[in-house]
Amino acid sequence: MMVSDAMDETPKTEDGIRLTEQQLRARRSRSIAIALALGAFVVVIFLVTLVKLGSNVLTRPM
Amino acid sequence: MSVTLARIEPSIAGVGDYVALLKPRVMSLVVFTALVGLLIAPGHVHPVIALTALLCIAVGAGAAGALNMWYDADIDARMLRTAGRPIPQGRVTPGEAAGFGLTLAVFAVATLGLLVNWVSASLLAFTIAFYVVIYTMWLKRSTPQNIVIGGAAGALPPIIGWAAATGGVAVEPIVLFLIIFFWTPPHFWALSLYRAEDYARAGIPMLPVVAGEAETRRQIVIYTLILAPLGVAPWLMGFAGPLYGIASIAGGAAMIALALRVRAERHGHAASKQMFGFSIFYLFLLFAVLLADRLWGGLAAQAVSLFAA
Repeated sequence: MMVSDAMDETPKTEDGIRLTEQQLRARRSRSIAIALALGAFVVVIFLVTLVKLGSNVLTRPM
Repeated sequence: MSVTLARIEPSIAGVGDYVALLKPRVMSLVVFTALVGLLIAPGHVHPVIALTALLCIAVGAGAAGALNMWYDADIDARMLRTAGRPIPQGRVTPGEAAGFGLTLAVFAVATLGLLVNWVSASLLAFTIAFYVVIYTMWLKRSTPQNIVIGGAAGALPPIIGWAAATGGVAVEPIVLFLIIFFWTPPHFWALSLYRAEDYARAGIPMLPVVAGEAETRRQIVIYTLILAPLGVAPWLMGFAGPLYGIASIAGGAAMIALALRVRAERHGHAASKQMFGFSIFYLFLLFAVLLADRLWGGLAAQAVSLFAA
């Protein structure tokens, strides 16, 4: 089986693909944005839970 | 057997490219009109719930924008106005845009449904589907009525905002829907008059490309003549005050005057450009005054109740 390789622009090592400086920077900025978005999502859920449950948020049936 | 691997290139897309996929300028208009729908609704909505609803509507609108850019990447690349978008520029792959858009759409609708209510979530889902499937995939490439019918997607946010506040739909947000619906054709046709070559190159059957400039100018006048009285309707129907009445009459008169200038124009596109610019201001004016009217009315009522107490 012959596989024509099209990943020639990205430097490779025996361990796999080595990202260029630009790709690393882009991935890092994307990771930070995803973390911030997830953090914001958690905050939204937390606040809406407080608003919807009100004082009942402290009621914990044993 | 020969197997050719697809190019597996690590992404160079930055956060800015993903933000561009969300069409932030369209999103801001969507959020603004949804906010007006939400705030003119009767009753009280907790600010956290209102902000959550607006966030979901914003993300849903952004998702629709990303899915639009995914599907339209081929024609975007052929138009000057859109050739700089992330996919034609090769910074984001179509697959990344589709995955991004679908994920955001599902999150926005589910979150709006679970945290606010399912009527507004259903309307948001319908709006996204209408924009992506009916407008982008079907109408845009097949009929000069594309932006007339497709404009319904852009007109729905005030109804979603109202539904987020009340859990239902009423005549007031439907009037706001109609204002945006009848505003969209003259707005986009004014643009398409001086971008006709761009649209023709991309093979999009916009009205000036298919029916010619004269017919487009005639249609702009017809839609503006329907739009101007509709703009005054919130005051006539009693859910906006006299300030809104004055602004909508003056704005509507200016829109009609501009449309007539567009129709009379024989050389160049100065009037069309003016109409395009003013139409944005006109819509913003109507909704801003409606909002100010409602907020001022609310403050005045609070002041009266304070003095009465």
